[in-house]
Amino acid sequence: MAHITIEYIIMIPVLILQIFLFPLWASWLMNIWVDSRRTLALQEAASHIGSSIQQVYFVLNPATVAAQTLTQKLNVPPFIENYKYAGNATLKSILDPELVSNKVLEITLKLEDVGTIAKATVILGSNVAWRESTFVSSARASCIIAEKLANGTICLSFGG
Amino acid sequence: MTGSTIDHLISLTVFIGALLVFISLFNQTLQTAILYQRQRYLATKCNDLLDNIMLNPGIPSDWGESGNVPIGFGLQDPKFTHYALSPFSLMRLLSFAGNRAYYNGTWYSNVSWGVNGGYLFLSESECVSYDLASKLLGTKGTYGFRLTIMPTVNVTIVEDQSAADHLRLNITVLGQNSPLAGASIKYLLYWISAYIPTFVNFTTGMASTDALGFASLEFHNINVSQNKMAYVFIARVSAGGLYGVGYLARNAVTNAGTIVPYVENSNGTILLVHNPGDSNAALHFNASFYVLSSNFQTSNGGVLNITSGPWLVNYGEGKPSFVLQIQPPNNGGFLVLSYWKEDGGNECGMVVVPWGIGIIGLSIIFGGDSAGQGWVATDIRQVAVRGIAYQARLALWSLESYGMMG
Repeated sequence: MAHITIEYIIMIPVLILQIFLFPLWASWLMNIWVDSRRTLALQEAASHIGSSIQQVYFVLNPATVAAQTLTQKLNVPPFIENYKYAGNATLKSILDPELVSNKVLEITLKLEDVGTIAKATVILGSNVAWRESTFVSSARASCIIAEKLANGTICLSFGG
Repeated sequence: MTGSTIDHLISLTVFIGALLVFISLFNQTLQTAILYQRQRYLATKCNDLLDNIMLNPGIPSDWGESGNVPIGFGLQDPKFTHYALSPFSLMRLLSFAGNRAYYNGTWYSNVSWGVNGGYLFLSESECVSYDLASKLLGTKGTYGFRLTIMPTVNVTIVEDQSAADHLRLNITVLGQNSPLAGASIKYLLYWISAYIPTFVNFTTGMASTDALGFASLEFHNINVSQNKMAYVFIARVSAGGLYGVGYLARNAVTNAGTIVPYVENSNGTILLVHNPGDSNAALHFNASFYVLSSNFQTSNGGVLNITSGPWLVNYGEGKPSFVLQIQPPNNGGFLVLSYWKEDGGNECGMVVVPWGIGIIGLSIIFGGDSAGQGWVATDIRQVAVRGIAYQARLALWSLESYGMMG
């Protein structure tokens, strides 16, 4: 009789514990999956925006290209799992002696309501300027605006 | 009573075991899904990176021709748009294809070490390294890559040894692993005789391939037995709007050795180095640079004329090399170098040095080694290098750990 009591004393708490532990484990693992998925999707979008900026810059950069404004529509999803995302960019100098005459544009995207952040960097030439602007994924015509000035400077910004 | 206890113990163990197995499988499934997403991201990155490389000429845009160190990496030909690559920028990529060459304190990038008589060594100080390209592309430390640029149309030229008394060249033209039937061939043939080595003969002509993509060309007036004649043969093939190039040169090893050309810089300085043979004899040589137009016509940008020489190299006599200066043309071209033994002149050879990738259909492999990488994404573009069809393939892999939690 005593054995049975001890067995139930052990078994019942273990079973009850499982009721809580199992969903917790599942939830924890699912959170990892969801976070990774969102981060990667956001990273992919940031990387693609960076690549598009770099391509637009190089289209305008040759000396033979006259001063003009170019708009490039961004081919990124407006939502990531029903969350819109927004971003901005900052232009920085590079300390590496081999890249001292280059500038790096760091693009930061943030998934709204969730807070997931992804960054991408692109190397551009010295004749680049960044006009303060914000990228909003859900905007109808989110794009990159590149304006080549008469002095050869290329001003980049988000549009839409 | 005891049976009941054992039942409980077993059931508890099984229950916990099942739970662990479930967690493990669940975790594994999630890891696979995340890994798949990372790989998809890598594929997108590969696609973007390849476009970035192919669709911009870099900074400065003429870095391939000028010899400047680029501060922006791109391979597009500044004179063209779309997927047209600069033959000179490609030439300046530090080759991963073969062993580096070393001569007199200088390392040379080895694009072609005498393969079929074609040489392209470029001083490494003139080359863009993988490290610099990675920095300029913003991938250093995060991604590794390898860029392979190879001809789409594969032109193989072989000297038919069964023709004992004259030169017979067999040409095989393949597209993407299938023969190109009815392809038209236009060829340039430079040849010398060891008896009158100072005179470079020239023949041009046309032919076409049969249903198997094969053509055989007979040159009855050229006898190549015993190294008494040498030649440089370059053929441009066109089929269905695609162009390809192939070459073959008779890089014969004479009793006095051979001459190996090393490109010193982008300004057109080429070092002709005597690679001595069994005897201590000198090698006389002649060198002509031919500018190649877009319609495969050559104009002679004669570099050296033997009658104003004598031009020679002799390793044993303190003349191990000769510095040659050409004027690099905008369109590219090739140097035809003929050499022969000083005494009696009964042995000779010829080599070709292209100025620009695509001139004679060389390939370039640039970048790091993907061996041992868990997952490598690849992407392909069909490009043109001064009209010659090439395939650009980028292999990209992540250098960051894919460490998983859970």
